[in-house]
Amino acid sequence: MKTNEPSKHDEALRKVLREWRTDVSLPPLFQEGVWRCIERAQAPTAPSVWASIAHWFGTVLPRPALAASYVATLLAIGVTVGWAQGHRQTARVKDELSHRYVQVLDPYLAPRQ
Amino acid sequence: MKRGGFILVLGLVAAAAAYACVYLACTSSARSLQRSDKPELAWLKEEFHLSDAEFKRVSDLHAAYLPQCREMCQQIDAQNVQLKKLLAEATNVTPQIDAAMAESARLRTECQRMMLRHFLQVSQTMPPEQGRRYLAWVKDKAFLPDYGMPKE
Repeated sequence: MKTNEPSKHDEALRKVLREWRTDVSLPPLFQEGVWRCIERAQAPTAPSVWASIAHWFGTVLPRPALAASYVATLLAIGVTVGWAQGHRQTARVKDELSHRYVQVLDPYLAPRQ
Repeated sequence: MKRGGFILVLGLVAAAAAYACVYLACTSSARSLQRSDKPELAWLKEEFHLSDAEFKRVSDLHAAYLPQCREMCQQIDAQNVQLKKLLAEATNVTPQIDAAMAESARLRTECQRMMLRHFLQVSQTMPPEQGRRYLAWVKDKAFLPDYGMPKE
């Protein structure tokens, strides 16, 4: 079992550390470098785009008002695009048929076999 | 996240379904015209709001006109061949070329007269207002000054 009392071993270690001297000098700006590392490690990391999207889908989209607006907006887009393309296609087909009607009756426009 | 994904998919499915329903509804008349036996006549019936009886009369006139049209096509083709042959050998305007060009012009006039007669007959089988509209439209299509010219 560990105790908080300093053991004889600790005492010996302290003694060695007190007597330890080194003549190697620290590299330039060593302290600033250490502080920069600490700051970088402690700085809050920005979440990735995917994480933000996933978070938005998980927490924001399921809100009833937003979910209803989202579905209603996509529904409206589907209706509008379907209506516009449907009308364009119908107009194209009718134009083609009207042209074909005249072509059938006009010997100068009639397709030759 | 699971619920959000479900809502995302639900929105996309709703948009696709709405698109398909509206598109199919908007193009149903065009599709039924294309499926019909004679699409151009089916178009005429729809465009000029013809009743079944009116449409039958128009179809009969149409069927009676087509052999005349085919006959005219053959005459035009034969005349074109002759004119082309004369022009290929020509170094100046010969009396034969003159006669062939006059015949081509006569055929064109005859063709236009025949078409106009048919258009008038068709317009007379329609209700008066639709008949006027039909005549205005068809004259515009077949008797314009740039008749036969490619459009821009």
